Amino acid sequence: MPTGIKIENLNFSYTHGKKVLNNITVDIQPGERFGVIGPSGAGKSTLLLHLNGILSGQGTVQIGETIVDKKSIPDVRRQVGLVFQNPDDQLFNPTVEEDVAFGPLNFGLSGETVSERVREALKAMNLIGFEKLTSHHLSLGERKRVALATVLAMRPEVIALDEPFSNLDPAMVMQLMKILKALDATLVLVSQSILPIVACCDRMAILKDGEIVAIGPPRQLAANIELMRSSGLDLSFYRKIFKEIFPE
Amino acid sequence: MKHDFLDKYSNLDSPIHRLDPRVKILSVFLGIIIIVSEPLGELFHFLLYFVIIALLVVLSRVPLKYLLMRCLIVSPFILMAAAFLPLSRMVSPELQPDYSGYSVYQASLTILFKAYSAVILLVLLTSTEKFQRLLLGIRKLKMPRLIGVISALMYRYIFLLTDEVLKTTRARESRTPGTLKISKVKVYGNQMAMIFIRSWERAHRVYDSMLSRGFNGEFPDTRKLRLSQNDVFLSVIFIGILLVIRLGI
Repeated sequence: MPTGIKIENLNFSYTHGKKVLNNITVDIQPGERFGVIGPSGAGKSTLLLHLNGILSGQGTVQIGETIVDKKSIPDVRRQVGLVFQNPDDQLFNPTVEEDVAFGPLNFGLSGETVSERVREALKAMNLIGFEKLTSHHLSLGERKRVALATVLAMRPEVIALDEPFSNLDPAMVMQLMKILKALDATLVLVSQSILPIVACCDRMAILKDGEIVAIGPPRQLAANIELMRSSGLDLSFYRKIFKEIFPE
Repeated sequence: MKHDFLDKYSNLDSPIHRLDPRVKILSVFLGIIIIVSEPLGELFHFLLYFVIIALLVVLSRVPLKYLLMRCLIVSPFILMAAAFLPLSRMVSPELQPDYSGYSVYQASLTILFKAYSAVILLVLLTSTEKFQRLLLGIRKLKMPRLIGVISALMYRYIFLLTDEVLKTTRARESRTPGTLKISKVKVYGNQMAMIFIRSWERAHRVYDSMLSRGFNGEFPDTRKLRLSQNDVFLSVIFIGILLVIRLGI
């Protein structure tokens, strides 16, 4: 069952001082596909790490009824699955099967249940037959799918993905968008690839210098040229190229 | 990027490959202890050990060329240690230890035999078993968990580190006309520092990803190993023969 996310007045600074998140407040509905876009260094990945309790700043992060704090971390990690930007940071076991089983085993599930979940997650990611392969032998697109499978096997209520579309070819982007749209979970997608976010999210926030500068329907925000430009996300270049390629 | 693997020949089928990893680990380590404890100058005993090891190599079907290439990696260290004895005798004969009546050359040969025997046995161990099964064997033998965790992560990330080295080397070479002069050694230093920093940051990201999936310091594992009577029998025979030679029975 998908669950909602409530973030209130979240502030965070790394040890070297600069404020990375500044008074973030956002309410994400259960089952919603929520996109966060912004230029490099805007604080997108930092925000994502707060959902799972890996980072904790000042303010409140609430997953369903659970407030994220030290005590609730085991519960929160059961509820929120994080897919990291670089699959090589996520896949560290000798085989695909063991990597996908890692999360469910950590949560104390029985061997039989874990095997079933691994099979289901691999099937959902179209990775049947990859079980015994070594993840670092796979292509980037395949590794990204394995990374998503490692989280799906945990059956989280919220899935947070960091730059899921980066370094993928257009066909893979389409395939991933299809997979994401079919998931029964609340999705938080953080990306600099604006077009896929616009295409597959119900709502989108623009993050700039650690602050949310706009929040709303993706197409409406993307069409606001002035807003996009002032947020460091100028799309006019794409418009120009597309007009040249498809003049009609 | 292309990499070589420790367990490249682990998919072959041979009596050695079929042994339980725990038996292999214990046999190899006991074997090494017996061979290393052999006194100086017992060259006939070392020849016998070598015959047994050669027999194991033939049985394992691991290509001899591969085995020799692996030995080549450690050869500079072994040869240096073996050559050190006669050289030091020439330089300062008054500081020579007592070799119990054997010549310094016999002592040198002993070092060579002991070191190469140990290396070949270890290469055989890692070549005839999948690395993850070796780790499982280590864990089932009640070795500290931390050793297993560190080894597993090291084996996984050694390839990524190799990639980092190759990538940074390409980046350096692409902007270096001709070969890099020794006077520009600082460039190598910078490259190594960057690789270290990248590895450090990656380690943090990997740990974060492990935490996000409920990692609490222990690797969960449900795999099982099966120890057969045949495994134990073969291991006892191997160790028994080595002991017979060692004790000169």
